[in-house]
Amino acid sequence: MMLAVTAWLGAMPGFMTPLLLAALGLLLCERAGILNLGVEGVMALGAMVGAAASLGGFGPGQAMGLGALAGLAVSVPFMVAVIVFRAPQIPAGLALAAIALGASAALGRGAAHMPFAGLAVLGWFDELEGVPVIGRMMQQDGMVWLALILAAALGLWLARSRGGLRLRAVGEDPATADASGVDIQLYQLGAVAAGSLLIGLAGAYLSVGGSNIWTEGMVAGRGWIALALVVFAQWSPLRAIFGAALFGGAEALIPRLQAMGVEVPVYLLSMLPYALTIAVLVLMAFSKRARQAEPGFLGRAYIRQDR
Amino acid sequence: MLETVTLERRQGAGAVRAALTYAGALALGLALSLAVLVAAGVPTGALFNELVVQVFLSPAGLARTVTMATPMMLGALAAALCLRLKFWNIGIEGQLWLGAICATAVALYDIGGPLRLPLMMVAAMAGGALWILPSALLKMWLGVSEVIVTLLMSNIAFLLLQHLLFGPFRDPTFNFPTSPVFGEAEKLARFGWGDVNGGLVLALVAVALAALALGRLRYGYAARFVGDNPKAALALGFPAGRVLLLSILAGGAMAGLAGGVIVAGTEYRLTQAVGLNMTFNGIVIAALARNAPGWIPLVALFIAGLYVAGASLKVFYGVSEGIVLIAQGIILLVLVTAQFVTTYRVRLARGVVA
Repeated sequence: MMLAVTAWLGAMPGFMTPLLLAALGLLLCERAGILNLGVEGVMALGAMVGAAASLGGFGPGQAMGLGALAGLAVSVPFMVAVIVFRAPQIPAGLALAAIALGASAALGRGAAHMPFAGLAVLGWFDELEGVPVIGRMMQQDGMVWLALILAAALGLWLARSRGGLRLRAVGEDPATADASGVDIQLYQLGAVAAGSLLIGLAGAYLSVGGSNIWTEGMVAGRGWIALALVVFAQWSPLRAIFGAALFGGAEALIPRLQAMGVEVPVYLLSMLPYALTIAVLVLMAFSKRARQAEPGFLGRAYIRQDR
Repeated sequence: MLETVTLERRQGAGAVRAALTYAGALALGLALSLAVLVAAGVPTGALFNELVVQVFLSPAGLARTVTMATPMMLGALAAALCLRLKFWNIGIEGQLWLGAICATAVALYDIGGPLRLPLMMVAAMAGGALWILPSALLKMWLGVSEVIVTLLMSNIAFLLLQHLLFGPFRDPTFNFPTSPVFGEAEKLARFGWGDVNGGLVLALVAVALAALALGRLRYGYAARFVGDNPKAALALGFPAGRVLLLSILAGGAMAGLAGGVIVAGTEYRLTQAVGLNMTFNGIVIAALARNAPGWIPLVALFIAGLYVAGASLKVFYGVSEGIVLIAQGIILLVLVTAQFVTTYRVRLARGVVA
C-alpha cells in the first residue's frame, strides 16, 4: 500500500505539469479579457513540433522551446482577429483550435509513432530516492520544477507588480484602465503571446517530457481540462497549482489502481475533474467574492467609444 | 500603439455592406483554403475535379456528400437555435453522443415493439435535450457561463460513451469497442441512392419547422426580442425565460437527433467515432448560414463536400485529412474577422492619442 502511494505520488507531477502550464497560459489570456478556446489545438501542435524537433536531433530543451514557439506562431492570426479586429472570441478560438489540430495532423505524419529520447530526470534529489512516500515524488524532470516556479512567479507578478495590476485591470475594466493610460491592446497582445507560448510548451511537454513519442490525438482533451482548471482555480496561479495537482493526481491514480488489480469504472472516475469543476462553478455563483474572481470583461470586445 | 485610429460601433450595417462583406470574406477564406491545399501537394489542375465534380456533380459523390450533410444540418440547427438567443452551445458533440446512446439503448434493449424506430428518434432528441438542460438552467438561474458548462458536459458525455462501449453496450465478438449491429427494424430506410437515408427527411423537416417557427410564428418574434435584449423583452411582457429555455432545449434535441440519425441511418451501431468534430462543424455551418435555418442545408452540403473531398484527396494525393479542419478553421476565422467591417466604423484620429 505504501509502495503504491509512493508510486502514485511519483507519477503525479508528470500528469500535473502539462495541465499547470496550459492553465497558466490560459490564465494570462483570460486576465487580459481574452477567452482562448484554441488551447486544445495549440497544445496538439506544440506536442507534434516538440516530437518532430526531438526526432530531428534537437535536445529536449530546444525541442520544447520550438514547441512553445509553434504555439505562438499558430496563435498569431487569432491574436490579430480578436485583439486588433475585435472578432468574437468564441468562434475565433474554435477556428484556432481547428487550424492547429489540422496542422498537427497534416504536418506530423512523419513523426508519428516514433520513439525518441525525451527529457531526463534531474539528479538533484538522488539521495532522497529511498525516502518513503516523497522520495519518488522528488525525482522529476526540470520542467516540473520550472512550471511550479512559473506559477509562483506569475502569481506574485499579478498580485504585486505594476504590470500585473495593469493586466488585471485590462481584463476587469478596460475602460478604466484605458483612461488611466494603459495601452489595452498592447497588454492583450503581450498576454496572449506569452499565454500561447506556455500552451505550446504544455503540449511539447506531453510528448518530450511525458510519453517520448507522438501520436495524433495525444492531447486527448487536456486542453479543455486546463480551461476548466482556470475556472476551478478562480483565475489564481497559486490555486492553479493545487487544482493541477488534484486533476493530475486523479489522472495518475487510475492506471495505478488498474495495475493493482482493483476493478474501477475508469471512465466514470475520469469524469471527476469535469464534475468537480461544474460543482465549483455552482458554488462560485453563490459566493459574491468568488463571483468577482472572473475577469469582468472576459470574452467581450472593448473599443474606446465604450468608455 | 494601435489606437492611432479610433473605432465606433455602427448602428446596424446596410444590407449591401453586409452582403459584400460576407461574399468577400467567403471568397478570401476559400482562396486561402485552396492555397493550403495546393501547398499540401494537390495539383492545381485537379482542384476543380476533386472539389466540385467528384463531390457534387457525380451521382455517387453527391450521395456521399448528402449522407454526410444530413447529421450536419441537425448539428448546425443545434448551434443556430441556441445562438439566436446568444447562447453558445460548445457541447453539441456531448448532446449528439447522448442522443446516439439513447437511440442505441432503445435498440439494444428491444424497447417499443413496432414503434421501435420512432421511439429511437424520440429518445435521441430527449437525450440531447437532457444533456443541455444543466447548462441552460445554470445560465438562467445562476448566470454561470454556458461556454464552460456545455464543454464540460461534452467531455463527460464522451467518457460515458466510452464507459458504455467498453462495458454494457460492448459487442464481445469485435476487437474494437462497438455496440452490436442493429436489427433491420432499427435502421432508417435507404432510398437506393448511395447511403442517403430517412435521416435526410428528418433533417429537412427539422430545418423547415425551425424556419417556420422563427419566421412565421410568435415564437420567432419573441426569440428575436429576447436574443437582442432579454430585460426589455421581459418588461414588454414576452415570456423571456420560457422562450430561452425552449430554444436551448430544441437546440440540444436537434444535436441528439443528429446522433440518432447517425447510428440508425449510416453506422447501424454505436462507435467511438460517431459525430466527431460536430461541435465545430455545427458552429461553422451556423456561422456561414448566419443562424438562418433556411440556409443551413446548402451550407451543410458545402462543408460535407469538403470532408468527402478530403477523404478522396487523402487516397489520391496523400493529403492528410487535417487539411479539412484547417480549411474550415481558415474560413471561420476570416468570416468572424470580417464582421469588423459591418460592426465598426474606422475614424482616423486627429489629435495625439495617449
